[in-house]
Amino acid sequence: MPARQPQFNPGPAAPAAAVSRRGFLRTSAVVTAGLAALAASLKPLLEMNDFPTLERFMQKYYKELTPEEMERVLKRIETEVERQYGIRPHVRDLKPRDGVEFVYCLNLTRCIGCRKCVHACVAENNQSRNPEIQYIRVLRLPHGSLDIEKAEHNYAPDLVPEKGYFYMPVQCQQCKNPPCVKVCPVHATWQEADGITVIDYDWCIGCRYCEAACPYWARRFNFTKPSIPRERLNPDMAYLGNRPRRQGVMEKCHFCIQRTRAGRYPACLEVCPTGARKFGNILDPNSEVSYILKNKRVFIQLKEELGTSPRFFYYFDV
Amino acid sequence: MHAQTKTSTALGAVAVALAALAVVFFFNFGARPVHLHPIALVDTNFLDTATVRRSYADLARAGEDLSDFDCYACHEKGKPPPLRFDTSQNLIIPKEHADIVMGHGSHGRNNNCFNCHNETNLELLQTRDGHEIKFSDSPALCGSCHGPTYRDWEAGAHGRTSGYWDRSVGAAQRKACVNCHNPHSPKFPGRQPAPGPHPLHALAMASAGTGSNSATVSTGWGETPGEPGYRGNLRPWLAGTLAPPTP
Repeated sequence: MPARQPQFNPGPAAPAAAVSRRGFLRTSAVVTAGLAALAASLKPLLEMNDFPTLERFMQKYYKELTPEEMERVLKRIETEVERQYGIRPHVRDLKPRDGVEFVYCLNLTRCIGCRKCVHACVAENNQSRNPEIQYIRVLRLPHGSLDIEKAEHNYAPDLVPEKGYFYMPVQCQQCKNPPCVKVCPVHATWQEADGITVIDYDWCIGCRYCEAACPYWARRFNFTKPSIPRERLNPDMAYLGNRPRRQGVMEKCHFCIQRTRAGRYPACLEVCPTGARKFGNILDPNSEVSYILKNKRVFIQLKEELGTSPRFFYYFDV
Repeated sequence: MHAQTKTSTALGAVAVALAALAVVFFFNFGARPVHLHPIALVDTNFLDTATVRRSYADLARAGEDLSDFDCYACHEKGKPPPLRFDTSQNLIIPKEHADIVMGHGSHGRNNNCFNCHNETNLELLQTRDGHEIKFSDSPALCGSCHGPTYRDWEAGAHGRTSGYWDRSVGAAQRKACVNCHNPHSPKFPGRQPAPGPHPLHALAMASAGTGSNSATVSTGWGETPGEPGYRGNLRPWLAGTLAPPTP
């Protein structure tokens, strides 16, 4: 029986003669076809127009940025937004203030389910219009029950409120014990001193663990590049707030950080026609929210049995 | 078969397969096109932060037409206008005031103009215990009956507020009772809801597009009666109280 000549591993005995012309051609055909297939499968990268600049790629973690570096980052964001939308925004990095802890109170007796808050929020916070991203979901519940299983959010009557129903808007509850923060593998989301849980959109890797962890369905993911019409862009922006997001990052309600840290009320409160929404500093004993929590019938923190301890309270008149 | 032939056949097959894959990848064969449903931008009326009504104080501040409050253009000074009631004690609204709908209080008991208006000076309001109040200070009049609500309003827990929560940075604007409530029929009127979340499904869009009066829009997941795939309410079945529905 003749000894077989190994094709590719000739061994030390025959170093030079092992690569035959035929063997070389065969191997190169396979390698070329393989590389072509790999290159073709990477073709979608060519269509990626939002390729990160080196500057953004090398950017440090939010909490490690020095004020000068932050200044440069804000300038970069302004330039990027201007290039994309043709509008030069004003991007700020507002810090939490001492002695301020935000709390939201929502009067279930007054809410009529008109969804104006949903759309004011979209306009204020530069959310994607298509695909649609909304931070607030208004649930319609039958009277006499607080069973979220019976809730309906696709209601579309001619007039609200409807007889026999009440409405419960749900958005990020800004928990004191937030499950979403615990699961983030890269610390891209954290709770600030004033109680707002924020996301660094430049640090988020888009794993969506936080979305899975949130019991309130409050987090939204940018599956595609967000689309915002130029004329509806809100140029008053904050780094941790409403600056335009990229594809592949999470976002959620941040109590309108660009407004509330500048002392203003959030957009959903301003637009509410019935005054069902109340917002303020719980550490100030004279604030509206302090009065409500002290004097009104505050019924829930939603799903309080989970121990998330929301900073969002639902209350009733009477 | 010789080992060499075997190897070359295998390598040839791999090369052909990879080349075929390259073609498939490059021309994106068999991929479902990414299709975004067109979603109309929301009507900017839904973004309006204005109150439902404008108070006397608002009109006066904006220097607008106050002729509606100029009572003595028609009425005679010092002569209280007479009130007429029908047989069931409902106030008969004179045609000059046809825009007023009396709906304050249940059972039509609050049916006397002078429960709130001052009989002797129509350009003033008055509480039941006789305090005269200007139109621009009307919340005090409302508060003379609606005490707990007035207390909440004063604390900022009832009614609309806008501007700055931090009063050291800027002022907050409090809205008066009449910015939201029509004093003659104070129940907050129903309004058209803004569009709900887009259902992203052809069937659901069809039923939403027809502007049906149904209370819910079909989600297209077979949850709504009449939809293809509807298998009845599954909840009792899941709860074990019913036999599973037969399709």
